[in-house]
Amino acid sequence: MFEPKIVVFACNWCTYAAVDLAGTSRISYPPNVRVIRVMCSGRVDPQFVLEAFKNGADGVIVAGCHPPVDCHYTNGNIKALRRFTLFRRLLNDLGIEQERFRLEWISASEADKWVKVVSEMVEDVRKLGPFKPKLGVKEV
Amino acid sequence: MSEEPRIGVYVCHCGLNIAATVDVKAVVEYAKSLPNVIISRDYVFMCSTPGQDLIRDDIKNYKLNRIVVAACSPSMHEPTFRATLESVNLNKYLLEMANIREHCSWVHSDKKVATEKAKDLVRMAVAKARLLEPLEEQEYVAQQSVLVLGGGVAGMRASLDLASWGFDVYLIEKSPTLGGRTALTGWLRHDRRGAEVVKAMIKEIARNGKIHVFTNSELIDLSGFPGNFAAKIKINPRYVNERCTLCGECELECPVEVLNEYEYGLNRRKAIYIPFRNSYPQFYVIDPRVCVKCGECVKACRYNAINLNEKEATLDLKVGAIIIATGYDPYRPVRGEYGYGLHENIVTLFQLERLLDPEGPTHGELIIGGKVPKSIAFILCVGSRGTTPNAKSYCSRMCCTSTLMNTIKIKERYPETDVFVFYKDITTYGNDESLYEEAGGKLVKFVKFEEVPVVDVGPEGLYIDVKEVTIQEDIRIPVDAVILSTGMVPRRDQSDMLSVTRASCSPDGFIREAHLKLRPVEAPSAGIYLAGAVAGPKNIIESIRMGSAAASKVATLLSQGKVKAEPLVARVNEERCSGCKVCVGVCPYRAISMIEVNGRSVAHVESALCMGCGTCSAACPSGAMQHLGFKDNQIVAQVVAVTGGGSV
Repeated sequence: MFEPKIVVFACNWCTYAAVDLAGTSRISYPPNVRVIRVMCSGRVDPQFVLEAFKNGADGVIVAGCHPPVDCHYTNGNIKALRRFTLFRRLLNDLGIEQERFRLEWISASEADKWVKVVSEMVEDVRKLGPFKPKLGVKEV
Repeated sequence: MSEEPRIGVYVCHCGLNIAATVDVKAVVEYAKSLPNVIISRDYVFMCSTPGQDLIRDDIKNYKLNRIVVAACSPSMHEPTFRATLESVNLNKYLLEMANIREHCSWVHSDKKVATEKAKDLVRMAVAKARLLEPLEEQEYVAQQSVLVLGGGVAGMRASLDLASWGFDVYLIEKSPTLGGRTALTGWLRHDRRGAEVVKAMIKEIARNGKIHVFTNSELIDLSGFPGNFAAKIKINPRYVNERCTLCGECELECPVEVLNEYEYGLNRRKAIYIPFRNSYPQFYVIDPRVCVKCGECVKACRYNAINLNEKEATLDLKVGAIIIATGYDPYRPVRGEYGYGLHENIVTLFQLERLLDPEGPTHGELIIGGKVPKSIAFILCVGSRGTTPNAKSYCSRMCCTSTLMNTIKIKERYPETDVFVFYKDITTYGNDESLYEEAGGKLVKFVKFEEVPVVDVGPEGLYIDVKEVTIQEDIRIPVDAVILSTGMVPRRDQSDMLSVTRASCSPDGFIREAHLKLRPVEAPSAGIYLAGAVAGPKNIIESIRMGSAAASKVATLLSQGKVKAEPLVARVNEERCSGCKVCVGVCPYRAISMIEVNGRSVAHVESALCMGCGTCSAACPSGAMQHLGFKDNQIVAQVVAVTGGGSV
């Protein structure tokens, strides 16, 4: 069976802590995710997401604290929301299926939500199959 | 980079926490194959002293200059291993952790799968470690002075504590007097009144040379960073100076009368007035919003204490920290809510406290609607706990206790009065539980409701209609007066202060703590602290405690005479910066400004203000803004390493 590789950009304060909590609570979830820690979801440059797809990721999740007010940095999550709302519109043009990208709000206590998001994402991407760029995302 | 990375990789067993699910030896062997890895080892507990010694020895013996620890979450032991590096003079920011416990061994049971994932995580960490740079914490001189906003009990307590440690305190109060809401609070436990507590604190402040009080004043601008804030204060004119002897001649002549907000509208005051007995400073004050400048008071004043042409002044201060202690407003029911505003015998708890106060408008006589009521109904949770459509969702915390305190006072002074308390739930938490028992002993009648009671304002008088929970019957009780036990809401007039201090609010409008449990007296912006009900409903004791707590946090920040700033901040490559100012707009801390360098306008980050979120880095279109510790190339290296594309 195809095992997708999912890259996750997780904010240090909420989502990274939720992934930690899933660990301390010993809740198992699909092993297909690799978490990259950033201080805020607002740190995630859409270029990083493109880099991930370019290098062979099958799916990408950007995750941070719940809007509007949970953000450790006042409103970095809102900035992430704005950026990725725009970015999502470009996905089709770039030949990336919408289902391969998710923006999620997962608080430090929501280990269960983390597990749900990962499980759904892996299933969704598995159905799509390996990411094969139709346009110019993959570098020649 | 000047020197070639020499990386040591340390894989922790964490007892069996990792080793039971991850083939640690295989990960160690794999790490050896990664570029720039000089040595790779495993150990049963890497965070133990022998584990750390292992790392220390290798740094010395193998001249390692980057360390990767594959173990638990960085939130657990990053500080530990940073200290390990520091102890052998390796810059502590040359450490990267791979979380193979929380993110791997604890959530995946298949050893093969977990081992492969652990290898990936180590590969990612090594890829980032190769690009890490040494970073230095910056040090700044800390001003030995503090700005305290709000002259209520929380602000006064904080000021007194700070002054006792030798800090200069600028106590800024927007209204004409110190004292805050507590000055208007009636009886507290042990036969004390709010006014007496306030009076005692004011006395101490008045004789304390370290505390500089500015009433009628507000903060209008703030810049700088922890240890070094520049604050601009606007001092509004009082129109009456210290020559005032409180003789009261001016007040007699003043033709303007308005509702007295210090008595919660129970009586009227003149445009020239004293807020309340024992208000401070003890001079009359003119309310410019209603004064018609007729000059009668000037003519009446024998001491030349009044100047109607007094202008506002500004004051520039340098302070090391700020405490926000601006308090709350009482909830004001809307007209018709439990009959409020429809009958003069329906008053709020805040008004009742003034009526029972010897210094209040009736000199402590419980006179409502012209006479002493023979029966009184208190209704709890008015405006709180979502009881009515416009009520706040939260519990205001102090209304139950305050209600019972007042029922006891009424029963002591007027034993014949029938007192009812209509409640949804009742909690006089902590030591105040004795008040509940005491009120019960004095035959205060408690009536529990599910559906909120209806106050029927009939032609013959007031009735409470309610379905009592335990007997499940509709009852109708005639009463002479109704007291609405109202709670606390955020101040209506705090938006200017919020924008100046960049403090942010929770959805209910109170100022948010940086973290309710881990940083409970700090605002999210560094160097700014919170005290009292500005951060949510609190009773007087809790507000005073929070004032002391905020003061001690300020002292912790400033007492060394210098402040350190984390180096994980944004830095500009001035050559690359195009001067587009995108970063200036996204920064939540106003840490970025534009400066001239060689005739070009480029971005500049004030490191001490930068909290290290990195949103400017993400926004910068030219890659000129880099988040140290999370630079573009470092994150991309992790991405490339994990996806396996290209060469690392």
